[in-house]
Amino acid sequence: MLENFPILSLLILFPLVGAILVFLTGRNGKAAKFIALAFSAAPLILSGVLLASFQMSFGEYQFQENHTWIESFGISYSLGVDGISIPMAFLTALLCFLAILFSWDVEHRTKEYMGLMLVLEVGVMGVFTSLDYFLFYVFWEVVLIPMYFLIAIWGGPRRAYASIKFFIYTHVASLAMLISIMALYFEAKPVLGYASFSMIDIATVSGGFGHLFQVAAFGALFFAFGVKMPIVPFHTWLPDAHVEAPTAGSVLLAGLLLKMGSYGIIRVALPTLPEGAQVLMPLMLAIAIVSIIYGAVICLAQRDLKKMVAFSSISHMGIVLLGIATASQLGIAAAVFQMFAHGLITAVLFMMCGVVQHKAGTREIPLLGGLASKMPYAATFMTIGFLASLGLPGMVGFVAEFSVFIATFDAYTWLLLLPIASVAITAGYYLWALQRTMFGPLTEKIDTSHLHDVSWYEAVPLAILSFLMILFGMLPGLIMDYIIPSAGIISGILGVG
Amino acid sequence: MQPIEFAWLIPVFPLVAAIAIGLFGKKLKEGGGYVAVVAAIASLAITAAVVVQVLDGSFDSADGVMDGVFEQSQMWLTLTDSYSFEVGIYIDQLTALMLVVVSLVSTLVIVYSLAYMGGEGERKRRYYTEISLFVGVMLGLVLANNYLELFIFWELVGLCSYLLIGFWYHKPSAASAAKKAFIVTRVGDIMFMIGLIILFTTFKTLNFRDLFEIEASGTDLSLLTIGTIMIFGGAIGKSAQFPLHDWLPDAMEGPTTVSALIHAATMVKAGVYLVARSFPLFVQTPETLLVVAIIGGVTAFMAATMALNNPNIKRVLAYSTISQLGYMMLALGAGGYLFFHTQHAEGYTSSMFHLMNHAFFKALLFLCAGSVIHAVHTEDMRLMGGLNRKMKITSFTMLIGALSISGIPPFSGFWSKDEVLATVWEAGDLSWVFVLLYFLGIATAFMTAFYMFRLWFMTFTGKPSVASDHAHESPRVMTYPLILLAILAAGSFLVLFVGGGFGGQVFFEEPHSLAPAEVLTATFAEPITYLSIIVAICGVGLAYAVYYRKSISSDVFVSTKASRTMYDVLIKRYGFAAAYDAFAEKVVYGFSKLVDLFDIYVIDGIVNGFAFIFARSGNIIRRLQTGQVQLYAAIVIAGISIVFILLYLVGGLR
Repeated sequence: MLENFPILSLLILFPLVGAILVFLTGRNGKAAKFIALAFSAAPLILSGVLLASFQMSFGEYQFQENHTWIESFGISYSLGVDGISIPMAFLTALLCFLAILFSWDVEHRTKEYMGLMLVLEVGVMGVFTSLDYFLFYVFWEVVLIPMYFLIAIWGGPRRAYASIKFFIYTHVASLAMLISIMALYFEAKPVLGYASFSMIDIATVSGGFGHLFQVAAFGALFFAFGVKMPIVPFHTWLPDAHVEAPTAGSVLLAGLLLKMGSYGIIRVALPTLPEGAQVLMPLMLAIAIVSIIYGAVICLAQRDLKKMVAFSSISHMGIVLLGIATASQLGIAAAVFQMFAHGLITAVLFMMCGVVQHKAGTREIPLLGGLASKMPYAATFMTIGFLASLGLPGMVGFVAEFSVFIATFDAYTWLLLLPIASVAITAGYYLWALQRTMFGPLTEKIDTSHLHDVSWYEAVPLAILSFLMILFGMLPGLIMDYIIPSAGIISGILGVG
Repeated sequence: MQPIEFAWLIPVFPLVAAIAIGLFGKKLKEGGGYVAVVAAIASLAITAAVVVQVLDGSFDSADGVMDGVFEQSQMWLTLTDSYSFEVGIYIDQLTALMLVVVSLVSTLVIVYSLAYMGGEGERKRRYYTEISLFVGVMLGLVLANNYLELFIFWELVGLCSYLLIGFWYHKPSAASAAKKAFIVTRVGDIMFMIGLIILFTTFKTLNFRDLFEIEASGTDLSLLTIGTIMIFGGAIGKSAQFPLHDWLPDAMEGPTTVSALIHAATMVKAGVYLVARSFPLFVQTPETLLVVAIIGGVTAFMAATMALNNPNIKRVLAYSTISQLGYMMLALGAGGYLFFHTQHAEGYTSSMFHLMNHAFFKALLFLCAGSVIHAVHTEDMRLMGGLNRKMKITSFTMLIGALSISGIPPFSGFWSKDEVLATVWEAGDLSWVFVLLYFLGIATAFMTAFYMFRLWFMTFTGKPSVASDHAHESPRVMTYPLILLAILAAGSFLVLFVGGGFGGQVFFEEPHSLAPAEVLTATFAEPITYLSIIVAICGVGLAYAVYYRKSISSDVFVSTKASRTMYDVLIKRYGFAAAYDAFAEKVVYGFSKLVDLFDIYVIDGIVNGFAFIFARSGNIIRRLQTGQVQLYAAIVIAGISIVFILLYLVGGLR
């Protein structure tokens, strides 16, 4: 039935139509919210259908749609998903829906806010489903604009600095990507005998490109995607962007936008340029380990709860890169699983930062304390989120970390000792933060007389995400089974088992 | 269908209870306390049925039984063709023993909680949720059929421990102790995880059945040695062994019921259980066994010294727990070492026997202490005294517990401690290390008798203090569990004289059944047995002289400069607490601060420096900062336009 049903196009089209409708609503903020919610619910349902009808054991692209767009340049409207993109598509639909719900109290320029959230969804969904470099690049750039505005309009006091930094930094990276894409295009053209931006077409010949070309192109792609993940030392735009971004913006930034970086490495860089990947693998490994430890250590020193969570993302995205750097089927699969897990977990963490900011009026850890007595549900969600993030078994993060560690020992044996040590530091900063914000006697440094527990539109997304973190922690096969075969194809191209 | 085939239900009842209480506890009586009790009793009932089957051997006819082990298993997660994990249950005599200990003590403690936690109001729901969750995951831990599953439950019992230590989270000391417990045990857990990864990548499986059939050699053997030492690292954390022991005294910040159940009778035993469970792997590497024995012996001794002069009733019991766990580790290490050389594994049996006895008498001692604290509202023994007339049942049952742990015959503790020490003595024939450890063990026995009776005399005898004035005996719902546990603490040794004895049931490789008469000769024909009895009596005697007759003043312990210094060192826990804190604050946090400054001034400084240079040269930034946001859209469009221009140019060239 689904053979000729353009389900992927609809995943992109629904939020697009929704965005247009929202912008047309006029002054009615309430209508904008309901339209946004409805048009983000549709892709969520569709992505569920997609998951259900995907053939798991088959790791190749499915649900492909191919339409020639600009024939003379070889640009086509070409979509498709495999076991690596499908969890990302589901994550995108889920987080966008929940982020819109979580923003139910936005009263300042509601219409624009909701519209931009939907445009963001269009871009991210496009990135995760494109099979054409040109299309990929367009969607990639589309993502930048709504995120820029979300920070610049609804952000905190230093929003101007943070939004410009975000924009320029990631745009410089985009430029590197554009250059390598163009290089791939022109290099492939004579070999193919025709012009094509198709990822699949180019990948059939790019393995034979010259050694130096592969290393240079892979390096540029790694830089471009690495900035987005982000990797140390190209990470400093992230804490600034998060600190200033509105809560839902942070949720999508950390939950989805960072994954675009690692997704790019897995989808584009690795299988297209296997020789370059092999040469630069030690560099990726080193950066991964540095990012993991650096991000974890720096968390301990943070006074702003949200900045701490932002830095923890750097550490946890380092684990993704570590999995990739093993170049093995298990490592790549575990990396994708960690992307999925981190998406769920970090959404809860940023939502909780928002709740604290909203109710207590500050996120400065030294000013907080003992909030659990006034907001027990918030304390419960925060505890669940922190525990998931520190890799507690039975929750989704553990499976990802443990698999990455197995793959690391398999590939690099005792080097494992470095990244695994971060597990203790991670437990340290989370539990310490929990102790200083939620436990102990109720703070007297801020006015707590009007402190309320989580509102319903906050509780619902938090409860759904908490449930999913536990569900996928107990039954990780529900997601892992999609990933494994496709990860095997990529590790096969790299020449590693 | 045989009863054993329903064994998977054992952890399910408390887990379901935890969810139900968590969701609906507010509407339930006693915040869900009765639901928790019913669930625990249900688990106990199935445990009883399963254990009967294991004891009489009738489970051999059940589906899934092979080589005396009942196993049910399912695929949990397939990672690649060579890596997959299962989830299942694994029941042999060791599992049965643990199931009895955990479900029996849990039931009694939860019943006791009905009164002990009665005044907690709204918080009761959280208490019964967390304690039911604990019981469920602890039972899951002992039922697991592979290391990964065990590890998952292992971490979850740690979570429950964290939550319950911090039960009164508004107290800064409780919040801090909870965090310390989690992080310190996590250091051990990382080693455990590394051990698992080594075993998994080497042998491609984590299933007990498959792993235990492996006889490693060559490189595999050296990896097995490292792997088992790492796994033992997990046990060091969980069972509070030196040098990761320091979290357990702080864990006493939790309610006393939690201390009794989690931090004395069950969870802290998980480390010992882990070593016992892994015995088929451990006995292949004598190096690991030596490490286990030394850590166990040192811990037993060191923890006992810290119990000598502590004024806090719960802390004394906490040190005592650490010390007794050290005994169990020592017995496993020595027993395994003996097995490696002589194929005799009585040490394994003696360790498990002590584990069982200790669970009963230590749970009893903690619950008695709880009963006292409930009455006098203090944990400081210097403020107690003279309680034996007001609290007859508590006083008498605690006396039984004290006699048992001190190793006074015929109470249970005597028999198992004697077996432990006999094993170590026997291993002394193989290596001088064990001779040394034996004397550490004897010294520990002396100290144990002393500090336990110091505790008992200080609490129950002498002049009643202010705090004792209004004390009265606890309600029956608390005293009945005490009486039951006292009967067990006094009489659990009787299993030695039933059937083939304890060694006929719980053993490694070969059962060593003994007829009742043989048990007696094996014990009392050995001269070293009298040494342990004599030191125990001396310990009790010294405590009697100092804290009852007061014929020796307790000032004698601080009369000289050297002994004063020693006294302070013990109170300061050999500086461990301070060292942990200093390491966390100065080293880790200090390093973190440095990295933060590096990030702000060096890395971000370079980024901003670039921006500044570009801004100077082109004045672009200033224009951007005036808010001409359309410009960004223009940049994006420009980027895409460049693509087209390039394409056009190249296309034109074609």
